[in-house]
Amino acid sequence: MTRSLRITTISRRCSSSVATTGNNNNGVKQPRPSRSAPTILESKQPEEPSLGESASFRHTAEEALATPGLKFADGHGLKGPTGRGRQTRRMNLYQAIRDALGTALATNPKAFVFGEDVQTGVFRCTTGLVDEFGKKRVFNTPLTEQGIAGFGIGLASVGACAIAEIQFGDYIFPAFDQLVNEAAKQRYASGGAYPLAGGSLTIRAPIGSVGHGGLYHSQSPEGFFLGAAGLKVVIPRSPIQAKGLLLAAIRDPNPVLVFEPKILAAEGKDLTVVSYGTPLHTSLRAIDLICHPPPNLVPFLPKALRPPNPAPSIQLIDLRTVSPMPTSQLIDAVKKTGRMVIVHEAGKSGSVGNDITGEVGRRAFEYLEAPIGLVSGWDTPVPLTFEKFYQPDVIRVFDKIVETLSY
Amino acid sequence: MTIVDSRSLITGPPPDVPRTHHTTTTSTPLPNPTPLPTFTTPTSGTDDRERPLYVSGSQAERQARAGRMSSPLRRGTHESWWSSEMGWFNAVAKTIPTYRVLDEEGHLVKGTRVPEITQEEAIAMYRTMTLIPIVDNVLYQSQRQGRISFYMQCAGEEAAIVGSSAAMSEGDEMFGQYRESAALIHRGFTLDSLMAQCFGNVEDKGTKGRMMPVHYSAPELGFHTITSPLATQMPQAAGAAYALKLDEDRQGDCVICYFGDGAASEGDFHAALGMNSVLGGPCIWFCRNNGFAISTPIIDQYAGDGIASRGPAYGLDTIRVDGNDALAVLSAVREARRRAVEGKKGVLVEAMTYRVGHHSTSDDSSMYRPIEEVKEWNVVDNPIHRFRAFLVTKKWWSEEEEKKLLSKNKNDVMRAFGRAERLPKPKLGEMFNDVWGVGNGEEVPAVIMEQRAELGRLLKKYGDVWEPWRRERKRFVEEGEDVMDCDGRGS
Repeated sequence: MTRSLRITTISRRCSSSVATTGNNNNGVKQPRPSRSAPTILESKQPEEPSLGESASFRHTAEEALATPGLKFADGHGLKGPTGRGRQTRRMNLYQAIRDALGTALATNPKAFVFGEDVQTGVFRCTTGLVDEFGKKRVFNTPLTEQGIAGFGIGLASVGACAIAEIQFGDYIFPAFDQLVNEAAKQRYASGGAYPLAGGSLTIRAPIGSVGHGGLYHSQSPEGFFLGAAGLKVVIPRSPIQAKGLLLAAIRDPNPVLVFEPKILAAEGKDLTVVSYGTPLHTSLRAIDLICHPPPNLVPFLPKALRPPNPAPSIQLIDLRTVSPMPTSQLIDAVKKTGRMVIVHEAGKSGSVGNDITGEVGRRAFEYLEAPIGLVSGWDTPVPLTFEKFYQPDVIRVFDKIVETLSY
Repeated sequence: MTIVDSRSLITGPPPDVPRTHHTTTTSTPLPNPTPLPTFTTPTSGTDDRERPLYVSGSQAERQARAGRMSSPLRRGTHESWWSSEMGWFNAVAKTIPTYRVLDEEGHLVKGTRVPEITQEEAIAMYRTMTLIPIVDNVLYQSQRQGRISFYMQCAGEEAAIVGSSAAMSEGDEMFGQYRESAALIHRGFTLDSLMAQCFGNVEDKGTKGRMMPVHYSAPELGFHTITSPLATQMPQAAGAAYALKLDEDRQGDCVICYFGDGAASEGDFHAALGMNSVLGGPCIWFCRNNGFAISTPIIDQYAGDGIASRGPAYGLDTIRVDGNDALAVLSAVREARRRAVEGKKGVLVEAMTYRVGHHSTSDDSSMYRPIEEVKEWNVVDNPIHRFRAFLVTKKWWSEEEEKKLLSKNKNDVMRAFGRAERLPKPKLGEMFNDVWGVGNGEEVPAVIMEQRAELGRLLKKYGDVWEPWRRERKRFVEEGEDVMDCDGRGS
């Protein structure tokens, strides 16, 4: 399973497809970025681009096929078996997951997909799978998360490929005992005997806030699983990643939790930004605002960071696997840049960010030129009405990057 | 007679082996190794003649006749007797009947007893039953228009919810799942409070804008906060019931705990009934069996005889009732309450109904059930029509009164809706309150104050410049100024 880090440099020199605000003074009227939801048009300023318009998504077949880390197992390379190029399909995250599940079921007769409402696929990730593969392999379970997790462990124990769904990450806690005490420790406890050959357990669950989920539909529970050695935790951030990570998880002999949120390394030299899942797009946008500041934000940049000075060279690391933590790559990055900002949606206490901070502080202390910045959700439950001020907003990341760069 | 001393055959560690583990010696040690019983040839005959299960005339036989084993508790059961038949079974009763007072058209069924109900009580019930569809409709549509974030209707279950609520008394504790807003309204929750919660506005005293719509909290009415996780309320209800049982000031009070056919598959369901049956405490376990857990039909949920069949397994008095018959629900829950309070114990009521609405605004039920089926339920077995027919038969209700009530209901709902929508959101600082309880002389933990200060600092700096924040903060009382008052650079 290849789940190495992906890092991209974003600087003023590189062109970005994100519409930048406030600098369209070349006389050409740029179309307003499309919005799927109706918005109140009371401001004269252009809208902030929506998540769907993030620069990190790949919109053409060429871009998609050039995804780093993509390997073609059939040995035909980019030209494909026909020699006339490979086909790609445009998918959103759910479609990509549906597609990966279809692939897993089609290629492994011992694969099972199950969970609450899976058969009918009310959450779209599993829609139609039952028609294709039958009720024996794609099925609804009774409403019991501990049952679903334990059942999956049992399937995997005897060599089957169990792909279970927990409807929301927020509801994974009844399964906590099964996952932390059983799935994570099963191999260790049985001297490597269980699960039997071919057995694998994958648990999928959507996490993170959508803007209107409140306490029980917006949580980011990944931090709770950090202490469970033996249990991998991965968090994709885009359709391509979701499909790749999910298939890799399904084929991984370890139990893997795939948390789906509802991005990118050449070498940056001034700052390393680390994130995963949805906030990666937030970080990307914040970096873009620093590299191409709109007039109203220029005053917030210190002189050294303002045009015509060159924009800072910022490296954005997409963590993807939060457990086990890919510590050495993070250390290498921070040794080059000397500064680090971590961005995630979960609260600070007991978080991935604090774990990284501790590790980097211990191992790269002498390389650090500024305290490690952490932009996260607040240490409160996720409050419905206040969600816009709870999430690590673009401007909060912007502020933290500026603060860290000018320390 | 030969006697073989088997003790010498037991192998075990020699007593002088040095210890490798530290062992505690707090309990009385058992003989180690446990000796096998000394073998003796039976004295009372060695023939293969069959003996009776019970010696005739013995005390054991008398107990068995009374349905008791001679020393029951030592065998893990309270009531059983010896049997030479291998008696497999799969049900305690062959099928559990469903109790009803009214038929589908609202006529009294033969042989039934109408519960004692005054005209006033009946009309109060009818008022709630006809009010909630309007509330549901308005809020459902407003979610579709993006004016609130979420909603759940209780269409089809009005009789089960209102009938059960009407059977409870003031001072009772109510644990809901999430589809019981009608029960709350019937207890006196005002439309203004309800709308305030759904809009999360400044008047939302219960959840202060933090919770999704329909997650009501009304301690003044004994209505515990709705949370989204399923069945988590059930062990809590068992705990509350136990507290009532022991509290001298609360004798006569009772707990009612609502849950669905899906929630009954959670571990918490079994934990709750198990604890309540052993520890006791007056609690009505009220199952709204509406046929679906989101899209999962009962056929994928359980293979046994519904939820009621599980009651006897936990030693609970149990009844299955027609959940679309308000009178049957009222009378069953009243009796359940009497049994629970007098016996200080749990009672299980399974109300058979049908979820006419979608699971929530996040669901489209046409994906998994034919719309005709839903329409048919609405026409053939409509809980509101059934109860109205009863009122008309009693000459308690007329067409004119119906018109007056419906129009008043509609006006009340629209007025409360319009008012709630215009009110601003709570203070932004409410985001940080109540995470921790703060005792006398103590301070809010620093982690919270630092983060509040950090948001305040950022809002001061970017609140007017950063468009997404500038627009968003206008929705709140004081527009976020309340968090900007804190000093310091934060965390």
